[in-house]
Amino acid sequence: MIFTSLNFLLFFPALVILYYLTPKSWRAVLLFVASILFYLNISPIYLILLLSVCTSTYLFTLAIEKTPDENKKQFYKITNIVLILLPLLFFKYFSVINNGILETMSQKGLHWPLPEMKFLLPVGISFYTFVAIGYTIDVYNEEVKAEKNFGIVALFISFFPLILSGPIERAGKMIPQFKKLPNLDFGHIAAGMQFMLWGYFMKLVVADRLGVYISMVFNSVPNHNGTTLFIASGLYPMQIYTDLGGYSLIAIGTAKAMGIDVMQNFRRPFLATSMADLWRRWHISLITWMTDYIFTPLAFSFRRHKMRGTIIALFLTFLISGIWHGANWTFVVWGALQGIYLSIETLTQKRKTEFEQRYNLKDKGWYIFLAICVTYLLFTASQIFGVAPDVETALIIFKKIFTQHGSPYLDFTTLFFALLGLAVVLGKDINEEFFNNRYGLLSSNYYWVRCSGYLLMLFCIILFGVYSDGSFIYFQF
Amino acid sequence: MQRSEIMDQIRKILISVLNHENFEMTESLSATDTDGWDSLTHMMIVSEVEKTYGIAFKLKELNKMRNVGDLIDLVVSKI
Repeated sequence: MIFTSLNFLLFFPALVILYYLTPKSWRAVLLFVASILFYLNISPIYLILLLSVCTSTYLFTLAIEKTPDENKKQFYKITNIVLILLPLLFFKYFSVINNGILETMSQKGLHWPLPEMKFLLPVGISFYTFVAIGYTIDVYNEEVKAEKNFGIVALFISFFPLILSGPIERAGKMIPQFKKLPNLDFGHIAAGMQFMLWGYFMKLVVADRLGVYISMVFNSVPNHNGTTLFIASGLYPMQIYTDLGGYSLIAIGTAKAMGIDVMQNFRRPFLATSMADLWRRWHISLITWMTDYIFTPLAFSFRRHKMRGTIIALFLTFLISGIWHGANWTFVVWGALQGIYLSIETLTQKRKTEFEQRYNLKDKGWYIFLAICVTYLLFTASQIFGVAPDVETALIIFKKIFTQHGSPYLDFTTLFFALLGLAVVLGKDINEEFFNNRYGLLSSNYYWVRCSGYLLMLFCIILFGVYSDGSFIYFQF
Repeated sequence: MQRSEIMDQIRKILISVLNHENFEMTESLSATDTDGWDSLTHMMIVSEVEKTYGIAFKLKELNKMRNVGDLIDLVVSKI
Protein backbone atom coordinates (compact mmCIF):
# COMPACT_ATOMS: atom_id res chain seq x y z
CA MET A 1 0.00 0.00 0.00
CA ILE A 2 1.82 3.10 -1.21
CA PHE A 3 0.57 6.67 -0.95
CA THR A 4 -0.58 6.80 -4.56
CA SER A 5 -2.54 3.55 -4.41
CA LEU A 6 -6.31 3.25 -4.19
CA ASN A 7 -5.83 1.12 -1.06
CA PHE A 8 -4.21 4.06 0.71
CA LEU A 9 -6.95 6.45 -0.34
CA LEU A 10 -9.41 4.11 1.41
CA PHE A 11 -7.13 3.24 4.32
CA PHE A 12 -6.21 6.80 5.29
CA PRO A 13 -9.67 8.39 5.84
CA ALA A 14 -10.93 5.21 7.53
CA LEU A 15 -7.93 5.29 9.88
CA VAL A 16 -8.34 8.99 10.71
CA ILE A 17 -12.02 8.47 11.61
CA LEU A 18 -11.24 5.38 13.68
CA TYR A 19 -8.27 7.16 15.31
CA TYR A 20 -10.37 10.01 16.65
CA LEU A 21 -13.18 7.64 17.72
CA THR A 22 -10.72 5.51 19.71
CA PRO A 23 -10.11 6.49 23.37
CA LYS A 24 -6.86 8.44 23.70
CA SER A 25 -5.10 5.75 25.71
CA TRP A 26 -5.61 3.24 22.87
CA ARG A 27 -4.64 5.48 19.94
CA ALA A 28 -0.95 4.53 20.02
CA VAL A 29 -1.99 0.85 19.87
CA LEU A 30 -4.23 1.62 16.89
CA LEU A 31 -1.36 3.45 15.14
CA PHE A 32 0.96 0.49 15.73
CA VAL A 33 -1.60 -1.98 14.36
CA ALA A 34 -2.20 0.33 11.38
CA SER A 35 1.55 0.54 10.77
CA ILE A 36 1.87 -3.23 10.82
CA LEU A 37 -1.10 -3.64 8.43
CA PHE A 38 0.37 -0.97 6.17
CA TYR A 39 3.71 -2.79 5.97
CA LEU A 40 2.02 -6.19 5.72
CA ASN A 41 0.20 -4.94 2.64
CA ILE A 42 3.49 -4.01 0.96
CA SER A 43 6.01 -6.55 2.14
CA PRO A 44 4.49 -9.35 4.28
CA ILE A 45 7.60 -11.58 4.41
CA TYR A 46 9.86 -8.81 5.59
CA LEU A 47 7.56 -7.79 8.44
CA ILE A 48 9.57 -10.28 10.56
CA LEU A 49 12.73 -8.33 9.78
CA LEU A 50 11.11 -5.04 10.79
CA LEU A 51 9.86 -6.51 14.08
CA SER A 52 13.31 -8.02 14.74
CA VAL A 53 14.90 -4.58 14.37
CA CYS A 54 12.29 -3.15 16.77
CA THR A 55 12.91 -5.92 19.33
CA SER A 56 16.70 -5.75 19.13
CA THR A 57 16.68 -1.96 19.46
CA TYR A 58 14.24 -2.10 22.37
CA LEU A 59 16.34 -4.64 24.31
CA PHE A 60 19.74 -3.07 23.63
CA THR A 61 18.65 0.51 24.42
CA LEU A 62 17.29 -0.72 27.78
CA ALA A 63 20.58 -2.54 28.41
CA ILE A 64 22.61 0.58 27.50
CA GLU A 65 20.66 2.64 30.00
CA LYS A 66 20.71 0.02 32.74
CA THR A 67 24.43 -0.67 32.92
CA PRO A 68 26.70 1.88 34.64
CA ASP A 69 29.78 0.37 32.96
CA GLU A 70 30.90 2.64 30.07
CA ASN A 71 32.58 -0.25 28.19
CA LYS A 72 29.40 -2.33 28.35
CA LYS A 73 27.33 0.62 27.13
CA GLN A 74 29.66 0.94 24.17
CA PHE A 75 29.50 -2.82 23.53
CA TYR A 76 25.67 -2.86 23.57
CA LYS A 77 25.52 0.16 21.26
CA ILE A 78 27.89 -1.35 18.70
CA THR A 79 26.26 -4.81 18.90
CA ASN A 80 22.82 -3.41 18.15
CA ILE A 81 24.09 -1.23 15.31
CA VAL A 82 25.92 -4.19 13.72
CA LEU A 83 22.91 -6.50 14.20
CA ILE A 84 20.42 -4.14 12.59
CA LEU A 85 22.83 -3.07 9.85
CA LEU A 86 23.56 -6.65 8.75
CA PRO A 87 20.22 -7.22 6.94
CA LEU A 88 20.55 -3.85 5.17
CA LEU A 89 24.11 -4.65 4.05
CA PHE A 90 23.09 -8.17 3.02
CA PHE A 91 20.16 -7.08 0.87
CA LYS A 92 21.98 -4.13 -0.66
CA TYR A 93 25.39 -5.60 -1.41
CA PHE A 94 25.32 -9.42 -1.24
CA SER A 95 24.12 -9.96 -4.82
CA VAL A 96 26.65 -7.49 -6.21
CA ILE A 97 29.60 -8.99 -4.29
CA ASN A 98 28.53 -12.58 -5.01
CA ASN A 99 27.97 -11.93 -8.71
CA GLY A 100 31.30 -10.08 -8.90
CA ILE A 101 33.14 -13.08 -7.41
CA LEU A 102 31.16 -15.47 -9.65
CA GLU A 103 32.12 -13.52 -12.77
CA THR A 104 35.80 -13.16 -11.82
CA MET A 105 36.13 -16.86 -10.93
CA SER A 106 34.31 -18.07 -14.06
CA GLN A 107 36.64 -15.90 -16.19
CA LYS A 108 39.56 -17.78 -14.66
CA GLY A 109 37.77 -21.11 -15.18
CA LEU A 110 37.17 -21.64 -11.45
CA HIS A 111 33.99 -22.66 -9.68
CA TRP A 112 32.30 -20.47 -7.05
CA PRO A 113 29.82 -22.48 -4.89
CA LEU A 114 27.06 -19.85 -4.70
CA PRO A 115 24.87 -19.41 -7.80
CA GLU A 116 23.85 -15.97 -9.08
CA MET A 117 21.41 -14.46 -6.58
CA LYS A 118 19.14 -11.48 -6.72
CA PHE A 119 17.18 -10.31 -3.69
CA LEU A 120 14.52 -7.67 -3.75
CA LEU A 121 15.39 -4.96 -1.22
CA PRO A 122 12.80 -4.95 1.59
CA VAL A 123 10.87 -1.70 1.21
CA GLY A 124 11.87 0.98 3.70
CA ILE A 125 14.74 -1.07 5.20
CA SER A 126 17.24 1.82 4.96
CA PHE A 127 14.87 4.25 6.58
CA TYR A 128 13.75 2.19 9.57
CA THR A 129 17.33 0.99 10.09
CA PHE A 130 18.53 4.63 10.22
CA VAL A 131 15.74 5.52 12.66
CA ALA A 132 16.72 2.59 14.92
CA ILE A 133 20.46 3.43 14.74
CA GLY A 134 19.74 7.07 15.59
CA TYR A 135 17.66 6.04 18.62
CA THR A 136 20.38 3.64 19.84
CA ILE A 137 23.07 6.35 19.62
CA ASP A 138 20.80 8.96 21.24
CA VAL A 139 20.22 6.65 24.21
CA TYR A 140 23.97 5.95 24.44
CA ASN A 141 24.70 9.71 24.33
CA GLU A 142 22.04 10.20 27.05
CA GLU A 143 20.15 12.58 24.81
CA VAL A 144 16.95 10.55 25.25
CA LYS A 145 15.80 8.05 27.86
CA ALA A 146 15.36 4.42 26.76
CA GLU A 147 11.64 3.83 26.30
CA LYS A 148 10.29 1.08 28.60
CA ASN A 149 7.17 0.37 26.54
CA PHE A 150 7.97 -1.96 23.62
CA GLY A 151 4.86 -0.83 21.71
CA ILE A 152 6.03 2.80 21.69
CA VAL A 153 9.53 1.86 20.43
CA ALA A 154 8.02 -0.40 17.76
CA LEU A 155 5.57 2.34 16.72
CA PHE A 156 8.41 4.88 16.51
CA ILE A 157 10.46 2.61 14.22
CA SER A 158 7.55 1.34 12.12
CA PHE A 159 5.31 4.46 12.02
CA PHE A 160 3.58 3.96 8.66
CA PRO A 161 3.74 7.48 7.15
CA LEU A 162 7.54 7.54 7.52
CA ILE A 163 8.61 3.93 7.09
CA LEU A 164 8.96 3.80 3.31
CA SER A 165 11.14 6.85 2.60
CA GLY A 166 11.29 9.02 5.70
CA PRO A 167 11.55 11.80 6.78
CA ILE A 168 14.00 10.09 9.14
CA GLU A 169 12.74 11.27 12.50
CA ARG A 170 14.35 11.31 15.95
CA ALA A 171 13.22 9.63 19.14
CA GLY A 172 13.47 12.88 21.12
CA LYS A 173 10.76 14.39 18.95
CA MET A 174 8.51 11.43 18.16
CA ILE A 175 8.35 9.30 21.33
CA PRO A 176 6.93 12.11 23.53
CA GLN A 177 4.29 12.73 20.84
CA PHE A 178 3.30 9.05 20.70
CA LYS A 179 3.03 8.99 24.48
CA LYS A 180 0.73 12.01 24.52
CA LEU A 181 -1.38 11.97 21.37
CA PRO A 182 -3.55 15.07 20.96
CA ASN A 183 -7.30 15.54 21.03
CA LEU A 184 -9.36 15.90 17.88
CA ASP A 185 -8.50 19.19 16.20
CA PHE A 186 -9.95 19.95 12.78
CA GLY A 187 -7.05 22.38 12.28
CA HIS A 188 -4.66 19.41 12.32
CA ILE A 189 -6.77 17.51 9.80
CA ALA A 190 -7.04 20.55 7.50
CA ALA A 191 -3.29 21.27 7.74
CA GLY A 192 -2.52 17.60 7.04
CA MET A 193 -4.79 17.56 3.98
CA GLN A 194 -3.11 20.71 2.65
CA PHE A 195 0.35 19.12 2.93
CA MET A 196 -0.97 15.99 1.25
CA LEU A 197 -2.59 17.90 -1.58
CA TRP A 198 0.71 19.68 -2.33
CA GLY A 199 2.50 16.37 -2.10
CA TYR A 200 0.16 14.65 -4.57
CA PHE A 201 0.43 17.63 -6.92
CA MET A 202 4.23 17.51 -6.84
CA LYS A 203 4.32 13.75 -7.30
CA LEU A 204 1.52 13.03 -9.77
CA VAL A 205 1.39 16.19 -11.86
CA VAL A 206 5.06 17.17 -11.92
CA ALA A 207 7.41 14.31 -10.94
CA ASP A 208 5.69 11.48 -12.79
CA ARG A 209 5.10 13.58 -15.91
CA LEU A 210 8.71 14.78 -15.94
CA GLY A 211 9.65 11.15 -15.38
CA VAL A 212 7.90 10.11 -18.61
CA TYR A 213 10.19 12.39 -20.66
CA ILE A 214 13.36 11.83 -18.62
CA SER A 215 13.03 8.03 -18.71
CA MET A 216 12.41 8.11 -22.42
CA VAL A 217 15.65 10.03 -22.96
CA PHE A 218 17.90 8.22 -20.49
CA ASN A 219 16.64 4.78 -21.50
CA SER A 220 18.13 5.31 -24.95
CA VAL A 221 21.16 7.55 -24.53
CA PRO A 222 22.77 6.44 -27.86
CA ASN A 223 19.70 7.65 -29.79
CA HIS A 224 19.70 11.19 -28.38
CA ASN A 225 21.90 14.18 -29.09
CA GLY A 226 23.66 16.40 -26.53
CA THR A 227 20.94 19.06 -26.55
CA THR A 228 18.24 16.55 -25.60
CA LEU A 229 20.50 15.01 -22.95
CA PHE A 230 21.23 18.50 -21.57
CA ILE A 231 17.49 19.22 -21.23
CA ALA A 232 16.76 15.83 -19.62
CA SER A 233 19.76 16.17 -17.26
CA GLY A 234 18.65 19.67 -16.31
CA LEU A 235 15.15 18.42 -15.49
CA TYR A 236 16.26 15.35 -13.53
CA PRO A 237 17.00 17.18 -10.21
CA MET A 238 13.52 18.71 -10.51
CA GLN A 239 12.06 15.22 -10.89
CA ILE A 240 13.80 13.98 -7.73
CA TYR A 241 12.77 17.12 -5.83
CA THR A 242 9.11 16.81 -6.77
CA ASP A 243 9.16 13.01 -6.28
CA LEU A 244 10.82 12.78 -2.87
CA GLY A 245 9.60 16.25 -1.84
CA GLY A 246 6.06 15.25 -2.82
CA TYR A 247 6.36 11.94 -1.00
CA SER A 248 7.66 13.75 2.11
CA LEU A 249 4.74 16.19 2.10
CA ILE A 250 2.23 13.33 1.86
CA ALA A 251 4.02 11.62 4.78
CA ILE A 252 4.12 14.85 6.84
CA GLY A 253 0.45 15.53 6.04
CA THR A 254 -0.66 11.99 6.94
CA ALA A 255 1.00 12.33 10.35
CA LYS A 256 -0.26 15.88 10.82
CA ALA A 257 -3.88 14.80 10.24
CA MET A 258 -3.46 12.68 13.37
CA GLY A 259 -1.90 15.57 15.27
CA ILE A 260 1.70 14.34 14.94
CA ASP A 261 4.38 16.81 13.83
CA VAL A 262 7.13 15.56 11.53
CA MET A 263 10.19 17.49 10.37
CA GLN A 264 10.37 19.27 7.04
CA ASN A 265 12.43 17.36 4.44
CA PHE A 266 12.98 20.02 1.74
CA ARG A 267 13.23 23.80 2.08
CA ARG A 268 13.26 25.41 -1.38
CA PRO A 269 16.46 23.56 -2.39
CA PHE A 270 16.86 25.09 -5.84
CA LEU A 271 17.08 28.61 -4.47
CA ALA A 272 20.31 27.67 -2.69
CA THR A 273 23.26 29.94 -3.45
CA SER A 274 26.02 27.40 -2.72
CA MET A 275 26.38 23.64 -2.46
CA ALA A 276 26.61 23.85 1.35
CA ASP A 277 23.38 25.88 1.30
CA LEU A 278 21.76 23.31 -1.01
CA TRP A 279 22.65 20.46 1.33
CA ARG A 280 21.04 22.36 4.22
CA ARG A 281 17.79 22.47 2.20
CA TRP A 282 17.82 19.10 0.38
CA HIS A 283 16.63 15.84 1.98
CA ILE A 284 17.12 17.56 5.35
CA SER A 285 16.25 14.56 7.53
CA LEU A 286 18.87 12.34 5.83
CA ILE A 287 21.54 15.06 5.82
CA THR A 288 21.04 15.95 9.51
CA TRP A 289 21.09 12.21 10.31
CA MET A 290 24.37 11.81 8.41
CA THR A 291 25.78 14.95 10.05
CA ASP A 292 24.96 13.76 13.58
CA TYR A 293 25.82 10.08 13.28
CA ILE A 294 28.55 9.92 10.60
CA PHE A 295 30.14 13.33 9.97
CA THR A 296 30.35 14.56 13.59
CA PRO A 297 32.07 11.41 14.99
CA LEU A 298 34.49 11.44 12.02
CA ALA A 299 35.19 15.20 12.33
CA PHE A 300 35.68 14.70 16.10
CA SER A 301 38.26 11.96 15.45
CA PHE A 302 40.11 14.13 12.92
CA ARG A 303 39.75 17.44 14.80
CA ARG A 304 43.47 17.74 15.55
CA HIS A 305 44.04 18.12 11.78
CA LYS A 306 41.86 21.27 11.80
CA MET A 307 40.54 22.19 8.33
CA ARG A 308 42.11 19.11 6.74
CA GLY A 309 40.35 16.88 9.29
CA THR A 310 36.98 18.52 8.57
CA ILE A 311 37.45 18.05 4.84
CA ILE A 312 38.42 14.37 5.20
CA ALA A 313 35.33 13.81 7.38
CA LEU A 314 33.14 15.61 4.85
CA PHE A 315 34.52 13.62 1.96
CA LEU A 316 34.11 10.28 3.75
CA THR A 317 30.55 11.14 4.81
CA PHE A 318 29.43 11.81 1.24
CA LEU A 319 31.32 8.77 -0.01
CA ILE A 320 29.38 6.63 2.50
CA SER A 321 26.17 8.36 1.39
CA GLY A 322 27.01 7.53 -2.24
CA ILE A 323 27.71 3.87 -1.42
CA TRP A 324 24.43 3.72 0.54
CA HIS A 325 22.55 4.94 -2.54
CA GLY A 326 23.72 1.83 -4.39
CA ALA A 327 26.48 -0.70 -4.97
CA ASN A 328 27.50 0.96 -8.20
CA TRP A 329 30.54 3.07 -9.14
CA THR A 330 28.19 5.80 -10.36
CA PHE A 331 27.09 6.43 -6.76
CA VAL A 332 30.69 6.39 -5.54
CA VAL A 333 31.50 9.11 -8.10
CA TRP A 334 28.31 10.96 -7.09
CA GLY A 335 29.36 10.92 -3.41
CA ALA A 336 32.94 11.89 -4.24
CA LEU A 337 31.71 14.82 -6.35
CA GLN A 338 29.61 16.17 -3.45
CA GLY A 339 32.67 15.79 -1.21
CA ILE A 340 34.84 17.69 -3.72
CA TYR A 341 32.28 20.51 -4.14
CA LEU A 342 31.89 21.02 -0.40
CA SER A 343 35.62 20.72 0.29
CA ILE A 344 36.40 23.43 -2.29
CA GLU A 345 33.68 25.64 -0.82
CA THR A 346 35.02 25.15 2.71
CA LEU A 347 38.58 25.94 1.63
CA THR A 348 37.55 29.08 -0.27
CA GLN A 349 34.84 30.25 2.15
CA LYS A 350 36.99 32.90 3.85
CA ARG A 351 38.08 34.52 0.58
CA LYS A 352 34.57 34.29 -0.86
CA THR A 353 33.09 36.07 2.18
CA GLU A 354 35.74 38.82 1.99
CA PHE A 355 35.09 39.27 -1.74
CA GLU A 356 31.30 39.44 -1.24
CA GLN A 357 31.69 41.95 1.59
CA ARG A 358 34.11 44.17 -0.34
CA TYR A 359 31.71 44.59 -3.28
CA ASN A 360 28.53 44.29 -1.21
CA LEU A 361 27.38 41.41 -3.43
CA LYS A 362 25.17 39.46 -1.04
CA ASP A 363 22.18 41.77 -1.55
CA LYS A 364 22.52 42.14 -5.30
CA GLY A 365 19.79 40.34 -7.26
CA TRP A 366 22.01 39.44 -10.21
CA TYR A 367 24.64 37.91 -7.91
CA ILE A 368 22.05 35.81 -6.06
CA PHE A 369 20.59 34.68 -9.40
CA LEU A 370 24.05 33.77 -10.71
CA ALA A 371 24.88 31.85 -7.52
CA ILE A 372 21.56 29.95 -7.75
CA CYS A 373 22.27 29.01 -11.40
CA VAL A 374 25.86 27.89 -10.73
CA THR A 375 24.73 25.79 -7.74
CA TYR A 376 21.98 24.17 -9.81
CA LEU A 377 24.38 23.38 -12.65
CA LEU A 378 26.91 21.80 -10.27
CA PHE A 379 24.20 19.70 -8.65
CA THR A 380 22.80 18.69 -12.06
CA ALA A 381 26.26 17.58 -13.22
CA SER A 382 26.60 15.34 -10.16
CA GLN A 383 23.09 13.91 -10.65
CA ILE A 384 24.06 12.60 -14.10
CA PHE A 385 25.98 9.95 -12.14
CA GLY A 386 22.80 9.36 -10.12
CA VAL A 387 20.68 8.61 -13.18
CA ALA A 388 23.17 6.84 -15.50
CA PRO A 389 23.30 3.03 -15.18
CA ASP A 390 27.13 3.03 -15.23
CA VAL A 391 30.07 5.44 -15.26
CA GLU A 392 30.72 4.81 -18.96
CA THR A 393 27.19 5.96 -19.88
CA ALA A 394 27.52 9.00 -17.59
CA LEU A 395 30.72 10.00 -19.39
CA ILE A 396 29.03 9.49 -22.79
CA ILE A 397 26.22 11.83 -21.62
CA PHE A 398 28.80 14.48 -20.63
CA LYS A 399 30.66 14.07 -23.91
CA LYS A 400 27.48 14.38 -25.98
CA ILE A 401 26.32 17.44 -24.02
CA PHE A 402 29.57 19.25 -24.90
CA THR A 403 30.01 18.01 -28.43
CA GLN A 404 26.78 16.81 -30.08
CA HIS A 405 24.39 19.71 -30.43
CA GLY A 406 21.28 19.60 -32.57
CA SER A 407 17.53 20.00 -32.50
CA PRO A 408 16.23 18.43 -29.30
CA TYR A 409 13.71 15.66 -28.95
CA LEU A 410 10.72 17.26 -27.20
CA ASP A 411 7.51 15.55 -26.19
CA PHE A 412 5.44 18.76 -26.18
CA THR A 413 2.27 17.50 -24.46
CA THR A 414 4.15 15.81 -21.62
CA LEU A 415 6.59 18.66 -21.16
CA PHE A 416 3.92 21.36 -21.35
CA PHE A 417 1.92 20.03 -18.39
CA ALA A 418 5.04 19.01 -16.45
CA LEU A 419 6.65 22.44 -16.84
CA LEU A 420 3.40 24.21 -16.00
CA GLY A 421 3.21 22.20 -12.76
CA LEU A 422 6.88 22.82 -12.11
CA ALA A 423 6.34 26.57 -12.55
CA VAL A 424 3.65 26.40 -9.84
CA VAL A 425 6.01 24.54 -7.45
CA LEU A 426 8.96 26.87 -8.11
CA GLY A 427 6.66 29.92 -7.98
CA LYS A 428 5.58 28.83 -4.49
CA ASP A 429 9.23 28.40 -3.48
CA ILE A 430 10.20 31.85 -4.83
CA ASN A 431 7.20 33.45 -3.10
CA GLU A 432 8.21 31.91 0.22
CA GLU A 433 11.93 32.65 -0.16
CA PHE A 434 11.90 36.22 -1.44
CA PHE A 435 8.39 37.62 -0.80
CA ASN A 436 7.59 36.25 2.64
CA ASN A 437 4.66 34.28 1.16
CA ARG A 438 2.88 37.54 0.26
CA TYR A 439 1.48 36.46 -3.10
CA GLY A 440 0.47 32.88 -2.39
CA LEU A 441 -2.98 31.83 -3.54
CA LEU A 442 -3.00 29.26 -0.76
CA SER A 443 -1.75 31.65 1.91
CA SER A 444 -4.26 34.38 1.07
CA ASN A 445 -6.11 36.06 3.95
CA TYR A 446 -9.37 35.35 2.13
CA TYR A 447 -10.94 32.00 2.87
CA TRP A 448 -12.63 31.71 -0.53
CA VAL A 449 -9.32 32.40 -2.34
CA ARG A 450 -7.59 29.64 -0.36
CA CYS A 451 -10.47 27.23 -1.00
CA SER A 452 -10.48 28.02 -4.73
CA GLY A 453 -6.71 27.45 -4.77
CA TYR A 454 -7.00 24.01 -3.20
CA LEU A 455 -9.94 23.07 -5.44
CA LEU A 456 -7.91 24.13 -8.47
CA MET A 457 -5.04 21.98 -7.27
CA LEU A 458 -7.32 18.98 -6.74
CA PHE A 459 -8.75 19.54 -10.22
CA CYS A 460 -5.20 19.62 -11.68
CA ILE A 461 -4.25 16.40 -9.85
CA ILE A 462 -7.32 14.59 -11.20
CA LEU A 463 -6.98 15.93 -14.74
CA PHE A 464 -3.23 16.11 -15.25
CA GLY A 465 -1.86 13.53 -12.84
CA VAL A 466 -0.02 10.49 -14.16
CA TYR A 467 -1.59 7.32 -12.78
CA SER A 468 0.79 4.50 -13.63
CA ASP A 469 2.63 2.29 -11.13
CA GLY A 470 3.04 5.29 -8.79
CA SER A 471 6.37 4.09 -7.48
CA PHE A 472 8.66 6.61 -5.76
CA ILE A 473 12.35 7.04 -6.73
CA TYR A 474 13.63 6.63 -3.15
CA PHE A 475 11.88 3.26 -2.61
CA GLN A 476 14.89 1.65 -4.36
CA PHE A 477 17.24 2.88 -1.62
CA MET B 1 40.03 30.89 36.26
CA GLN B 2 37.00 33.22 36.10
CA ARG B 3 34.08 32.38 33.78
CA SER B 4 34.43 35.85 32.21
CA GLU B 5 38.06 35.11 31.26
CA ILE B 6 37.06 31.81 29.63
CA MET B 7 34.21 33.55 27.82
CA ASP B 8 36.59 36.19 26.48
CA GLN B 9 39.01 33.50 25.31
CA ILE B 10 36.18 31.60 23.55
CA ARG B 11 35.09 34.87 21.93
CA LYS B 12 38.59 35.25 20.44
CA ILE B 13 38.48 31.65 19.18
CA LEU B 14 35.08 32.22 17.56
CA ILE B 15 36.35 35.36 15.81
CA SER B 16 39.45 33.60 14.50
CA VAL B 17 37.56 30.51 13.22
CA LEU B 18 34.41 32.26 11.92
CA ASN B 19 36.29 35.26 10.56
CA HIS B 20 33.76 37.84 11.83
CA GLU B 21 32.54 39.50 15.02
CA ASN B 22 28.85 39.75 14.16
CA PHE B 23 27.61 38.11 17.36
CA GLU B 24 26.85 39.24 20.87
CA MET B 25 28.92 37.14 23.26
CA THR B 26 26.65 35.81 25.99
CA GLU B 27 26.36 32.45 27.73
CA SER B 28 23.16 31.75 25.78
CA LEU B 29 24.85 32.26 22.40
CA SER B 30 24.45 29.12 20.29
CA ALA B 31 25.54 27.89 16.86
CA THR B 32 22.10 28.59 15.40
CA ASP B 33 22.36 32.30 16.37
CA THR B 34 25.82 32.69 14.88
CA ASP B 35 26.58 33.19 11.21
CA GLY B 36 29.04 30.56 9.97
CA TRP B 37 28.99 28.41 13.14
CA ASP B 38 27.87 25.20 11.48
CA SER B 39 28.79 21.52 11.56
CA LEU B 40 31.90 22.27 9.45
CA THR B 41 33.36 24.96 11.74
CA HIS B 42 32.14 23.42 15.02
CA MET B 43 34.95 20.89 15.37
CA MET B 44 37.56 23.54 14.54
CA ILE B 45 36.19 25.68 17.40
CA VAL B 46 36.21 22.63 19.70
CA SER B 47 39.79 21.78 18.73
CA GLU B 48 40.97 25.38 19.40
CA VAL B 49 39.31 25.39 22.85
CA GLU B 50 40.98 22.05 23.68
CA LYS B 51 44.37 23.38 22.56
CA THR B 52 44.01 26.66 24.48
CA TYR B 53 43.28 24.92 27.82
CA GLY B 54 45.22 21.70 27.23
CA ILE B 55 42.10 19.59 27.75
CA ALA B 56 40.26 16.88 25.78
CA PHE B 57 36.52 16.58 25.37
CA LYS B 58 34.50 13.42 24.83
CA LEU B 59 32.09 13.29 21.90
CA LYS B 60 29.31 12.42 24.33
CA GLU B 61 29.98 15.64 26.25
CA LEU B 62 29.93 17.72 23.09
CA ASN B 63 26.62 16.22 21.98
CA LYS B 64 24.98 17.56 25.12
CA MET B 65 26.38 21.06 24.63
CA ARG B 66 23.70 23.53 23.59
CA ASN B 67 25.32 26.99 23.97
CA VAL B 68 28.45 28.90 25.04
CA GLY B 69 27.40 28.58 28.70
CA ASP B 70 27.50 24.77 28.41
CA LEU B 71 30.92 25.00 26.75
CA ILE B 72 32.24 27.16 29.60
CA ASP B 73 30.82 24.67 32.16
CA LEU B 74 32.63 21.88 30.34
CA VAL B 75 35.93 23.80 30.28
CA VAL B 76 35.59 24.69 33.99
CA SER B 77 34.98 21.02 34.86
CA LYS B 78 38.20 20.00 33.10
CA ILE B 79 40.77 22.63 34.11
